[in-house]
Amino acid sequence: MDITYPVGLLVVAIALIIGFTAIVLERDDLHRILLTDLAEILALVLIALVATDLAEALILPGLVVGISELMAVSEVYITREGLRAPPAEPAFHIEVMDSAPGILALILVGYGIILSGFTGGVVAAVGTVFYFMCRGHDERFELIETVSGYAWAIWIGAFFIFMFLPQYWFFAVMMAGGAILLKVMAKMSLVGTMRGGPDV
Amino acid sequence: MTPEFILGCIILIIGVIAAAFPRPKTYLSRLISLEIPGLGLLLIMIAYDEMLALLTFVAVTAISTFVLVRVIERKEAAQ
Repeated sequence: MDITYPVGLLVVAIALIIGFTAIVLERDDLHRILLTDLAEILALVLIALVATDLAEALILPGLVVGISELMAVSEVYITREGLRAPPAEPAFHIEVMDSAPGILALILVGYGIILSGFTGGVVAAVGTVFYFMCRGHDERFELIETVSGYAWAIWIGAFFIFMFLPQYWFFAVMMAGGAILLKVMAKMSLVGTMRGGPDV
Repeated sequence: MTPEFILGCIILIIGVIAAAFPRPKTYLSRLISLEIPGLGLLLIMIAYDEMLALLTFVAVTAISTFVLVRVIERKEAAQ
């Protein structure tokens, strides 16, 4: 009999006991946020032990939810403690940051669109993040969020095609690939705005 | 029980202890210690051939470190 799974469960149980003891004993809120990240890693180990495609399918949304939760909690913490950004110049500013962003963002976004899907979304998002970081941003984020919402609807529509009209699977694959590209790109481009600024 | 799995479990336990009770107890040392259980998780994922999850975890860890460093930076500046 394979004892891998029970051993893994035992290890995770020990780790969970240690981790949550630390959270209970902790008094500082920021330390608690850091320990939440530890708890998330332990939860992911618990899922990874399932060791099938189901595990991968569960880990991916777990990661996305984890990062968005972390961003939200950190924003709440900053607002509650009244922490302001240190009044300083941007960390570094070199000439290439004035001339390159346009063309580099264009290349990365174009390559991302060719790749499509989750990977393409990440590549395209790196382009937009770079652009926002170098040029600043006065974008209307309602627009980006609206596009992201429509992309989600298209993605769900593609899954309905898979279920009810399986003979058109190639069309559905293209729909899902394009939609997830838009979705990942819209979400990740928010990271480029984290230096603060108007309209965020 | 592959070597990767055993090594991953050992690193996971060590990392959890390091992240739960860091010394000296500063934000930065705890943040750095958090990478150790992450490495343990990566090894366990390798043991089960979960490539997509592994790659996404690496990408997300980079972003989460960025988010946490930003909070810590502001907290230290306020003190």
